[in-house]
Amino acid sequence: MSTVTVRAVLRTGSGRAARLLTGPQAGVFAAIVVLLAITQARNPVALQSDNLIEILRSTVTYFIAGCGATMLLVGGGLDLSIGSVFAAGAVAAGMLMNHGVPWPAAIVLGVAVGGLLGALNAFLVIVAQVPPFITTLGSFFAVNGLVTVLTEGNPLFDFPEGFGRAGQGEIGGIPYLVVYAVVAGVLCHLVLEKTRFGYDTRAIGGNESAALANGVAVDRVKTWLYVISGGTAALCGILLAARLSSADPNSGGSSFAFQVLAATIIGGTSLFGGVGSVGGTALGALLFSVLANTLVLTRVNPLWQNVATGTVLVLAVMVDQARRRRRFRTGRSG
Amino acid sequence: MTTTTHRPTLELRGITKRFGHVTALDDVHLQARPGEILALLGDNGAGKSTLVKVMSGLYAPDEGEIRLAGDPRRFATPAQARSAGIATVHQDLALVECLDVATNLFLGRFPRRGLFVDRARMERETEEFLRSLDVTVSSVRTEIGMLSGGQRQIVAIARALKTGADTVLLDEPTAALGVRETAQAADLIRRLRDQGKAVIVVSHDMQLVFDTADRVQVMRLGRVAGVRTVAETDRDEVVALITGSRRDT
Ligand SMILES: Nc1ncnc2c1ncn2[C@@H]1O[C@H](COP(=O)(O)OP(=O)(O)O)[C@@H](O)[C@H]1O
Ligand SMILES: [Mg+2]
Repeated sequence: MSTVTVRAVLRTGSGRAARLLTGPQAGVFAAIVVLLAITQARNPVALQSDNLIEILRSTVTYFIAGCGATMLLVGGGLDLSIGSVFAAGAVAAGMLMNHGVPWPAAIVLGVAVGGLLGALNAFLVIVAQVPPFITTLGSFFAVNGLVTVLTEGNPLFDFPEGFGRAGQGEIGGIPYLVVYAVVAGVLCHLVLEKTRFGYDTRAIGGNESAALANGVAVDRVKTWLYVISGGTAALCGILLAARLSSADPNSGGSSFAFQVLAATIIGGTSLFGGVGSVGGTALGALLFSVLANTLVLTRVNPLWQNVATGTVLVLAVMVDQARRRRRFRTGRSG
Repeated sequence: MTTTTHRPTLELRGITKRFGHVTALDDVHLQARPGEILALLGDNGAGKSTLVKVMSGLYAPDEGEIRLAGDPRRFATPAQARSAGIATVHQDLALVECLDVATNLFLGRFPRRGLFVDRARMERETEEFLRSLDVTVSSVRTEIGMLSGGQRQIVAIARALKTGADTVLLDEPTAALGVRETAQAADLIRRLRDQGKAVIVVSHDMQLVFDTADRVQVMRLGRVAGVRTVAETDRDEVVALITGSRRDT
């Protein structure tokens, strides 16, 4: 029993510092720095605080939903429906406000609608045993249709002033939106890394039958993960509505869902469960915002953004797979 | 130990389990007694793993009764079986590869301090516990995925020991092990018995069975082919029961 390889000790024993250097986040972090440097060299606006804050502001919507997506993926689930739950949250909150519901209550209820849609996904996955990919692809279309029918495709506006302020206000130059994102990120990080719920989540994603055989309340944890995924997606939709003072039934969509998943995966979260972190997702989301910003400031046609996004995504997963194969003797691809 | 007169801690009566048209278990009786190792033998497909899964709450039997200390019990989930004092080391190990040794030892019952999992306590207790078993791992933060098959098996057995259960089920605990690791696993299994636990171990390894077990129960095609105390049988008879060239019923 004395022969765990020295390499293994080096890789885990020295903990966080080693992980930062060898982990997937290191590459993402380096990419962000390089992009900022290139941009700065071509356009000195890049590192000015206005631009940096704008980058952060555009990261927020992806990041908050990314927190929910990260937890769900770590737990071995998948949610494609976040694209339309995003719009559903915005439209639900908008309709409630238009019917005189006070805006803070409308926000809470809008998030609850997202949570409920998540619970519906969980029911289909757990009880009806429809695979997550199919379940959430189906609910993506169904919810999207429902939102369009309810609004006849028209954006909602005329919201209370407080609602707009919640999305547009700043404190000491920092947009409220960024503050919300930091709070959500810290909260989700603590839940995933420190609580029993987070430990159970990782165990389920790593080996669901092992978790079950050892008494983890698998179904309960998975249900909450889908609820959190739906809730955070709805919150993002509502925050964007607050920022723009308009709830657009056509907001979000598949591009939103894919961007969130791409940012999450680039941040080192595995599609196969068990592995991932909120911090990584923050970097992944940030990388996308910086990339978009770079294209604008260096006057590259912004239509190149999707090409870049796709390339970065595949590259990141390739690097991650190679790393994982080296790490686990079994060569488990997840 | 072979002539223990204790009441059985775990008793199966007439257990039948079907998967569609396959009858994996057919009217199976079994008794596990405290301070005794019962070896469960049989050819591949004889129903040993299915029997273990019925006892550990993973499968509900179609017929028959499970009794614990004389009381009929029903386990809807593995968690219920475990809280009733039955710990299981499954053939497919049931460890989480991407988590470390300490986390795997506490799977399903992470200690808490306030809102958060008490990581320091988990690591400390894991170190102490493994040391008490003479098991050395370079670090309790080593991910299971980086351990050898033998090391994983030792961790899995240690986890079963750690639950403080009175009944421990082990499904082929030494199948993937080398000589030295097998000896260490056998040692752990004897230690369980010496702590007064009822131990049921599924194994193909005759050496291990005759070295450690007190009784053997042979399964064949889902039925019980025979039960013997180790003292009153030998390898030839056991092999004959396994292959079906000899039968009791
Ligand atoms: N989940 C299952 N679904 C269908 N058939 C099963 C299942 N588990 C076991 N069986 C069948 O039940 C029989 C007994 O299997 P098992 O208990 O694994 O045998 P052993 O562990 O003795 O090799 C085999 O015929 C096997 O194919
Ligand atoms: Mg088996």
